[in-house]
Amino acid sequence: MSSAPPWEPQAILEALKADVSQLNPDGPVLARSIVGRHTLVTSFLLSTFYALSRIIFQVSIMGEDGYFQPQMRKVPTGELMQPSRKTNGYGVQAEDTRICVVMVGLPARGKSLIAQKVVRYLGWLSIPAKTFNVGQYRRSNTPTPTAEFFDTSNAEGERLRRAAAEAAVDDMIRWFAAGSGTIAILDATNSTKDRRRWIQERCDAEGIETLYVESKCDDGDLIMSNILEVKTTSPDYKGQDPEKAAQDFRNRIKNYEKVYETIDEDESDMTYVKLINVGKQVIINRIQDYLQSRVVYYLMNLHLKSRSIWLSRHGESNFNLSGQIGGDADISDRGEAYARRLPELVKQSAGDRQLTVWTSTLKRTIQTARFLEYEKLEWKALDELDSGVCDGLTYAEIAEQYPEDFKQRDDDKYNYRYLGGESYRDVVIRLEPIIMELERSENILIVTHQAILRCIYAYFMNVPQERSPWMEVPLHTLIKLTPKAYSTIEERLKADIPAVSTFREKGSLAKHQ
Amino acid sequence: MVIATVGLPARGVKTRIFHLGDYRRATLGPGKEVPADYFFVNASPESVLLRKRILKKCREDIYHFLEHENGQIAIYDAVNPLSAGRKTLAKEFAKHNVQTLFIESHCNDERIIEENVRNVKISSPDYIGWSDEDAVKDYLARINARIPHFETMEEPDLHFIKMINAGERVVVNNCAFNYLSQRIVFYLLNLHIKSRQTYFARAGTTRDEDSYKADASLSAEGEDYAKKMADTLIRHREEERERLIKRGGPDVALKPLTVWTSTRRRTIETSTYLASLGYRVRQRSQLSQMNPGVCEKMSEKKIRAEYPEEVSKHEADPYHHRYPRAESYHDLAVRMEPIILELEREENDLLIIAHESVLRVLYGYLMACNAIDIPGLEFPRDEIIEIIPASYNNEAKRIHIPDLPPKIIPGSPEDLQMPVPPSGTASPFSGLGTPAGTMTPTGDGKGQSFLPLPLRRPNVTSNPSS
Repeated sequence: MSSAPPWEPQAILEALKADVSQLNPDGPVLARSIVGRHTLVTSFLLSTFYALSRIIFQVSIMGEDGYFQPQMRKVPTGELMQPSRKTNGYGVQAEDTRICVVMVGLPARGKSLIAQKVVRYLGWLSIPAKTFNVGQYRRSNTPTPTAEFFDTSNAEGERLRRAAAEAAVDDMIRWFAAGSGTIAILDATNSTKDRRRWIQERCDAEGIETLYVESKCDDGDLIMSNILEVKTTSPDYKGQDPEKAAQDFRNRIKNYEKVYETIDEDESDMTYVKLINVGKQVIINRIQDYLQSRVVYYLMNLHLKSRSIWLSRHGESNFNLSGQIGGDADISDRGEAYARRLPELVKQSAGDRQLTVWTSTLKRTIQTARFLEYEKLEWKALDELDSGVCDGLTYAEIAEQYPEDFKQRDDDKYNYRYLGGESYRDVVIRLEPIIMELERSENILIVTHQAILRCIYAYFMNVPQERSPWMEVPLHTLIKLTPKAYSTIEERLKADIPAVSTFREKGSLAKHQ
Repeated sequence: MVIATVGLPARGVKTRIFHLGDYRRATLGPGKEVPADYFFVNASPESVLLRKRILKKCREDIYHFLEHENGQIAIYDAVNPLSAGRKTLAKEFAKHNVQTLFIESHCNDERIIEENVRNVKISSPDYIGWSDEDAVKDYLARINARIPHFETMEEPDLHFIKMINAGERVVVNNCAFNYLSQRIVFYLLNLHIKSRQTYFARAGTTRDEDSYKADASLSAEGEDYAKKMADTLIRHREEERERLIKRGGPDVALKPLTVWTSTRRRTIETSTYLASLGYRVRQRSQLSQMNPGVCEKMSEKKIRAEYPEEVSKHEADPYHHRYPRAESYHDLAVRMEPIILELEREENDLLIIAHESVLRVLYGYLMACNAIDIPGLEFPRDEIIEIIPASYNNEAKRIHIPDLPPKIIPGSPEDLQMPVPPSGTASPFSGLGTPAGTMTPTGDGKGQSFLPLPLRRPNVTSNPSS
């Protein structure tokens, strides 16, 4: 081993050499096709991804081809071993990170949809995020522009659009400077390299990281359906004939297409993710920190297929009857009736669609779901909020035994953590993988508990944290959520089987109101 | 391949790696009499035949593993340079109802390639007894033999992940909504050279009866421990820095130290002193100790008497089984997964103050322990564990905390008195955020399937729509 200090690149390289040479040393293998850290990657992958079914990893080496592609950009020497960080150097922590997510793409490529979903997701996780839509800044000057306005040879249009972009970026920088923001999303076409470079320079000067998200789509049908569904309802076309609006919009896109430059090798120094044809291919370049990777991971899990999510609480349990919280009680007779009625209710709402049923690991949800003839999965993460020492008590008993706690919980229910238990905030953290999984999946029916259901519902319906813990979610009711481009449609089906109300208003002790 | 060296055995879900090169060596015997043209495109018919024979044997073994040994992931390790060959391969596997995911590591930085050839390839058994020069020459010849015929992955219909220049760029094709590939990418994005220290410390002892639910505060002894622990750590870091300077290292400031605690009072209170010194403390709910459920503090005898059924289930699958309302080791590992990812990404030095059960899992991950050993790892209170980063196997060092009263030193006496997972059943890191293999008794007394998201939907009987 060399005596170089351990942080020197040579020393790291030395260590790598020593370690890499221990590997099973045959022909081209992923781990050895590249230096060092991917030995870690591979070993990590192998030792972690067990839980998947019959998939063959096909490991190939392609390190050699550098010899016949010498024109490609090279990694500067010395950069390989150190994380390259532009603004978030050592000593700066995740929560100090400020990221500007710059949307890139022609109109009708789902940019605003992505922006809006990312903001909602981050907001749900208590990460302050905000969209800056350049179109809205432009609209204040030109409320209903025609396609000519977007012709790049139209100098006045060009000037106004540039001014709108500047106003949006200025506002964004002010928002960051005010100190409360973590992620800003700059929602515009940002279709030229010049524009993107300009944004990069503005952000660099302010110490804001940039992450470009390009949505590229050449599937005509996809674009058309987006135009008809979303854009013709845009404020730009208020009160106009939808057919005409669509035509004008197509012309507007043509004007953008003239100048559109996709992100390419010239911009390989930038951090970007390129989503091609809604995730058919994804290219991820130079991701720098954890938060960025979280956003990218979320983006990769989004899809536009239409689907619904059904939510139900478990059938009335014996603890519901006695007004106790927590526990792992069986369902009551009426709960059993709901369980028997549920398949019919689901059929009524979902028709012949194939669903997957998710339950918690507690008896009452498993019992409630047991007559449903679909594939079922149990998730520990869907277990009810852990009420710690109060588990098994009634609200009246809690108020008596832990009066301070009872009051504190009413004051800030979202953040109040039961002694030895959890808060709503804790629940949201543990539900995050569930949300990711839900985004990735299609039709899912979740049978779970009141607090959990409130949190999942809050994500889809964008309910603020002050309100979500107080939402009323009655027993024996099936909720159907259908995510649409800009909102989520909700339907409720009552099973018409009586049950106690477990809803408790602020300050109340009521067992059954 | 690497799995063997890392030492985390594939437990829980069966994975196996098939190196084509091993088959070649096995077929040819130990003499290494590889035909001179074996690796070349215009090989003689005999060599082509030999190649085919080796390939066939390897494929058959993969099918056998997947079909008859309950294998779930097979890793087929070979070059696969040609697009046509890859397509055939995917088709071939598809016939057997096996999905193929290609992973390509693509590198166009000559510096990386040459380093790699020099340091890795020539230490292969193929080159034992060769001089370095000759080995490099031969290896480059092998590569060159393939170069005109090497085609990087561009097949739009195949599932593939392409890493370019050591993860600087990642291309994911046609894998949308494929659980595994998404996870791989997420991991790729989060792994970096760990050039920082991680420290583990236990929480201090508590005042009252120390049950899980009670979530008690620190005792006076606990607070004294917190102070001594922090002082020891700060002193140690300063000494390390001085030592490095003496050895010729640069005189730079220490990396900032961040403290992570769980949301349990005892860990938060153990960090109070550090917080008062200006260190940043973050509470992470995922770091809370394993929930012991209803069996907390029961003796094994009592558990056996009161929950005989649970005990037999536990013995059948101790890694996944959870006692009533408790967490299994699997649950704990799944819960901690986001923490592990963030740990990989963290750039500051990190002190984690947590319960012993949590430290076991984290230590097991960082030190690549056998899952068999994880439940038995001990973290006496008078030691801070320092994980020293190395590229492949991290090293651990124990820093003694002096002057602690002996009675607070031993490992958690309040730990579950239930049988812990014996060897060889499951890895602590399967599942990853999915309910893989949750073996909780369901209504009908059967456990759940192992697969979180089966690619082949199980037949749903009596459902007319399916």
